[in-house]
Amino acid sequence: MAMSGGSSSGGATPNINVTPLIDVLLVLLIIFMVITPSKPSRFEAKVPAEPKPEDQTIAKPNPLTLVVAINNADKKITLNNEAAGDVTNTADLTNRLLAIFKDREASGAFREGTNEVEKTLFIKSPRSVKYGEVVKVIDAVKQAGAQPIGLQIDDLTD
Amino acid sequence: MATAIGSTEEYNSEINVTPMVDVMLVLLIIFMVVTPLLQQGVSVNLPRDTISPDADADIAKDTSVIIAIPDNNNFYIGKEQYPLNVLGEKIRDKMKDKSPDKRIVYIKSGVEVDYGRVVEAIDAIRKQDIDKIGLIADKRKTGETAPAN
Repeated sequence: MAMSGGSSSGGATPNINVTPLIDVLLVLLIIFMVITPSKPSRFEAKVPAEPKPEDQTIAKPNPLTLVVAINNADKKITLNNEAAGDVTNTADLTNRLLAIFKDREASGAFREGTNEVEKTLFIKSPRSVKYGEVVKVIDAVKQAGAQPIGLQIDDLTD
Repeated sequence: MATAIGSTEEYNSEINVTPMVDVMLVLLIIFMVVTPLLQQGVSVNLPRDTISPDADADIAKDTSVIIAIPDNNNFYIGKEQYPLNVLGEKIRDKMKDKSPDKRIVYIKSGVEVDYGRVVEAIDAIRKQDIDKIGLIADKRKTGETAPAN
């Protein structure tokens, strides 16, 4: 071959072997493409408006509103004061809510003035609970279809 | 010259990779430059593997207001750190020209943060007459098998 290297003939071959270079570049390229952030997502929560001192009329409590509370000591969840699993296993809570919503659909427990099933739910958690655990509970109630989800802000215990 | 390519009667069997390397390098540099720009605000240990959050493209917009709480002592709006007592003022400034249906403040909090700190941030938000809050969470990738529960 005419190009048989620089060992026998006098001049060195001017070709660089670029194959490893391309390999490294391709891998780097793929790494950067993969770590490009994906689409963000979020839970929507509502907070009750701040109580105004001049507006102290007692609102009629809605009997259909659900309250999910987290107990700080043993991380148990209660749904309207009934035990519903704990923070590490939220499947029980989801199933209970699904049953309640199904029941309401059958019995026609609608949001006032509309024909949608009342699915309003409030979450009450002590201040020292970790945020990650609250999000787990929100995830569980969202799976059951609760909407809107409200966060209780006032009068939380430590 | 002994190595003059193409001047002999034999075919040159090597592919000319120089243009390909050029293109690769340019792509690599583009990704290297763009990747840090896509990261907005401070980095936070978000709740992972949640199942049901809704995708919201507005979070990534420059105009959205995101309060980041990476640990128990710090509140950030975007990349700037603010003490709790000026948080409300900053939120009001940023939200003042938004239409009513866009009045939502996002909270990007780490999982190890106490809920009480998050509540303090929410309290500052609702004092600005905002009642909608988006809690940013990482959605589990579809296709992965869910653990049995």
